[in-house]
Amino acid sequence: MTGTLVETEDRRQYKATRRRGLTVDLSMTLATILAALAIGFLVMLLTGNDPVGAYEAMLTGPLERSFRVGRWLEDATTLTLLGLSVAIPFRARQISLGAESQLYAGALAAAAVAVFLPLPPVVAVIVPLVAAAAAGAGMGLVPGAMKARLGANEIVATLMLNAIVVRVYDYLVNGPLKEPGSSAVHSKSIQQDSALTPLSDWFGIPLGRANVGLLLMVFTAVALWLLITRTPLGYRIRMTGSNPEFAEYGGIRVPRVIEWSFVIGGAVAGLAGAHLVQGVYGRLEPGLAGSLAFEGIVVALLARNNPLVVVVAGLFYSYLRAGGDIMEQQTDVGTEIVVVIQAVIVLLVTAQALPDLLKRRLARREVAGR
Amino acid sequence: MSAVLDVVLSSAFLAAVLRVSTPYLLAAFGGLVAERAGVSNIALEGQMLSAACTGALVAGYSGSVALGALCGVGVATLLGLLLAALRLELGADVIIAGIGLNLLASGGTAYAVFTLLDDKGGTSGLKSGSLPAVPLPGIDSIPLLGDVISGQNMVTWLAFLTAPVIAWLFYRARFGFHLRAVGEMPDAAASVGIPVRRVQYTGLALSGALAGLAGVFLSMGYVSFFVRDMTAGRGFIALAAVFLGGLRPWGVFLAALGFGAAEALAVQLGTLDVPPQLVSTIPYAMTLVALAVYAWRRRRQAGVEVAASV
Amino acid sequence: MHKAWERSGPAIGARAVTKTYGNGVRAVRGVDLDVPVGEIRAIVGENGAGKSTLMKMFYGLEQPSSGEVLVGGRPRVLGGPASAIGLGVGMVHQNLMLVPSFTVAQNVVLGVEPGRRGRVDLKAAAETTARLAEESGLAVDPNARVDEVSVGMRQRTEILKVLHRGARVLILDEPTAVLTPQETEDLFAAVRRLRDGGMTVLFISHKLREVREISDRVSVMRAGSLVGTVDTSDATERSLAAMMVGRDLSLDVDRAPARRTGVALQVRDVQYAAPTGQSLDGIGFDVAAGEIVGLAGIEGNGQTELAEILAGLRRPTSGAIRVGGTGTAGLDVAGHRRAGIGYVPEDRLRNGAALDESIADNLVVDRHDRAPLARRGLLRPRAVRAHAEQLIEDYAIRTPDASVPVRALSGGNMQKVIVARELSAAPRLLIASQVTRGVDIGAMRFMYERLGAARDAGAGVLLISADLTELLALADRLLVIKDGRLVARFDDTSGLTEKRVGLYMLGVERHDHDHITTGLEEVDAV
Repeated sequence: MTGTLVETEDRRQYKATRRRGLTVDLSMTLATILAALAIGFLVMLLTGNDPVGAYEAMLTGPLERSFRVGRWLEDATTLTLLGLSVAIPFRARQISLGAESQLYAGALAAAAVAVFLPLPPVVAVIVPLVAAAAAGAGMGLVPGAMKARLGANEIVATLMLNAIVVRVYDYLVNGPLKEPGSSAVHSKSIQQDSALTPLSDWFGIPLGRANVGLLLMVFTAVALWLLITRTPLGYRIRMTGSNPEFAEYGGIRVPRVIEWSFVIGGAVAGLAGAHLVQGVYGRLEPGLAGSLAFEGIVVALLARNNPLVVVVAGLFYSYLRAGGDIMEQQTDVGTEIVVVIQAVIVLLVTAQALPDLLKRRLARREVAGR
Repeated sequence: MSAVLDVVLSSAFLAAVLRVSTPYLLAAFGGLVAERAGVSNIALEGQMLSAACTGALVAGYSGSVALGALCGVGVATLLGLLLAALRLELGADVIIAGIGLNLLASGGTAYAVFTLLDDKGGTSGLKSGSLPAVPLPGIDSIPLLGDVISGQNMVTWLAFLTAPVIAWLFYRARFGFHLRAVGEMPDAAASVGIPVRRVQYTGLALSGALAGLAGVFLSMGYVSFFVRDMTAGRGFIALAAVFLGGLRPWGVFLAALGFGAAEALAVQLGTLDVPPQLVSTIPYAMTLVALAVYAWRRRRQAGVEVAASV
Repeated sequence: MHKAWERSGPAIGARAVTKTYGNGVRAVRGVDLDVPVGEIRAIVGENGAGKSTLMKMFYGLEQPSSGEVLVGGRPRVLGGPASAIGLGVGMVHQNLMLVPSFTVAQNVVLGVEPGRRGRVDLKAAAETTARLAEESGLAVDPNARVDEVSVGMRQRTEILKVLHRGARVLILDEPTAVLTPQETEDLFAAVRRLRDGGMTVLFISHKLREVREISDRVSVMRAGSLVGTVDTSDATERSLAAMMVGRDLSLDVDRAPARRTGVALQVRDVQYAAPTGQSLDGIGFDVAAGEIVGLAGIEGNGQTELAEILAGLRRPTSGAIRVGGTGTAGLDVAGHRRAGIGYVPEDRLRNGAALDESIADNLVVDRHDRAPLARRGLLRPRAVRAHAEQLIEDYAIRTPDASVPVRALSGGNMQKVIVARELSAAPRLLIASQVTRGVDIGAMRFMYERLGAARDAGAGVLLISADLTELLALADRLLVIKDGRLVARFDDTSGLTEKRVGLYMLGVERHDHDHITTGLEEVDAV
């Protein structure tokens, strides 16, 4: 929002100003994305590729075939869940980088139930999901409590936990949980009843591995939006993030709130792990999450930690990722250019002085134009 | 148990510790310099990766290993300066900017390799050579010691030399003096006329250069090719070593050496019945515990007042 | 003698210096000052009298809007501290500018380190420091880490730092605020020795006893102007206080006498050992429901600590506090608020508001989880909005909408948001700290009316202020705090003048303990 003094008392005028402010913010976001795409364009041009053809493949490709749409939605589900998982601690001004460990904890918990515990239908889907959320929440509680109760740096704590959990996961998939008699490294498949229903079954068209996890993701986003805007805990998270000293002065128990933000984020990252196990792969695979956990941070950042906007940003991001893969198949350009574009977006978004500089210049021109 | 002891006491293992520790040492010192200058360098990982990739590519195309190494270090230095500029000029959040640079490095290196060599995995198709090892005539015939230290790569020597150099720089040199003052009390430094920003830029450039040397070692030390994402989180581990080492040169040295030793041990134990992944978690678990204990002690010293300081 | 200095003329001085800040505040008005070489000149004045601003101009941290600054007998343009240091002006700030992990010697030489080719010769640094310490009589341990030495030694380190840069003029900004009496005495001895060696010293202080002890002459500032300069030998603490505090008349405000209806707050023998800042010693007083009790004192004498203890933000070391009969020991902040405490904090930007959040959200921080704002675990945005709109109307907060972020409001409006929140909770006891600081006249009058109305409605009010006029106009009773202790209690403020209260604030006079604690009932610790 604008940083200037609100001079007017006229409500209509204020609303108009605010609308204009929102328009400016929105166009800033679009401008950031366009600038990043332009830089990608330049990079391709300079490296001797054909940027026009590449962007055409990247931007239209994902919608051309239904299974590509499925690939996009499946990726967007995981990515958005991960974005949501960091958006909550970010809202409390906690820089949690622990989505990776939480995701793997969730995946392990989901798989443990879904592979080994025979359950009746429906319950067989729900119990692993709940187990995953609980495992993720528990994994989030560790750095959360360390920060809230001891003041330990949450960045280092979450990075260490990531390193530990990734290795333990690797050990389990290569060792105790490896499917006996299989030459490839992966766990046994989950029971049929525990699988998240593929969307193909509903729509009758091939949609790849996209599944009802998509709905779960949208539901989670709405729930988190409600949490943040419509519950006392959400209010406390917002105030703690905005000014912790004010929160404490107002009687909010700030350490408690910090812990909750980590626990909620962890539960959502755990769900992302469950989605990979029950919806995408149907079993534990080595390196399940790839680099998604860190890209989730980018998504949250781009969406300014607003849960509903995270969905949009997640869909956008996954679209770029899916488009990048198609681009690589159809042209000579590597899909990695997408990561470069993402990185440029992050750097532009965090360079706070940049938009302020532009905004001030705009305002000056507006004054001059009157 | 005795099998484990045999492994640990073998000269091959000790030599491996020195080798494996090298990138951790260099990157951790890079992180240390940045941290003491008051700007956290989360981008160590990306700086290492960029240097590893640039080094292998330049060496491969130019045929000069030295030029490759130099360019690798140069690119990482530039990334350090870019991080400083984002922080100091554009008001960027230093953590998020670091994450952005890591992404940029990860995507940029993979893109460059694929564009140039049409290979997703790395530069193994390119003949790029590696940095020379340093045999020590005379010493190499001494049992055990000779096997351990003779024939180590020149970067390993540099890494171990960095420890006393950094310690000297911090506590005996004017630049280190100013760097520590700037990182600890920028107002005090500014009030006696120390150019705070210039010191921070220099610190971040040095930080990037050290991370770059670590990266160059990865792709040009024992192998002669770059593999996609070959840093594999070493930059973050180095960062943990910085904190575990209490932000002191010799503390960081020991912490980084500890991480290296644990990784070497994990590799060696792979031949035995101990799961190497579990062994390699030990240093991280130790760091986590140390972090908690350290924070708890600091909080107890400061009294109960700081409950709200987030 | 410094090479850039003239042979004659003042060591440091000002000619018609005025400083007007960007927001129109005129901090210094037409000050003329001449301090000859080798004099210890004390500069005294109340908070906001313009002393600090004047010193900042001498040290190059601020530039005068008009008039000129003289150093070494000539007008100078001081672009920054570096040019002031170059001309031989050194300043020891109130909050010390030392690197904690460095040794004393390292701090002394920081920026001008001895040693060749990029090296620092630590031995030479320690020797230089030891020699300087020896010569000046400022005893320090050159090799001790600064964060492990006493505050007094830290201060001596700062002075040595200034001496090491060849200063001829030494500005000391409230140097004794953090010192023990013994350390103060040592400091004075050293300052005198420096003076005898030709150093010119500017000594900023509130403490008239010390001013009389150390200075050769005293300049008094009030409201940005220099009121006068007198020889210390001719001045008494009483005459200085009169010059500082001004008005000899009390400002009578038309108001009904207080109707006291029981006890709102009982404080008994509260001790507090502060990790940083002022500790409290044996604080005990009552605030009745239906009265305004003013707490006067020069800032930094324990007001902040006392207010935050009462609000539950700090825990006292010992002592008992009861709000309307409820003991507050062991309660958290929310518990204090439930017991009936409202608190307008002194620094509204620090913890009085979440600046980036809406007015509506800022108005509910203490009640967001209760009906009617929340039901069945859900916040009701419509209720939050209606609540905000009601308060915006009741407290005449000028804003187009309740969704405006607090940051966009003017100082007075921002303060109204905070006062609206605290008063609408209908507190038994309202702690109002610096409630009119930085607000316009209109908002100021509004605050006065509201505090009076709250009193008449039966709330107890503890009014903490640096503004004596305000305290005398509003308070039914008045307490004075100094060095963390209550030093005066006036149960009747009619006829009380600023001058008289000033004597207590400055430590010239004090009430005895029995008078201050008269009539306080015993209260159990729990």
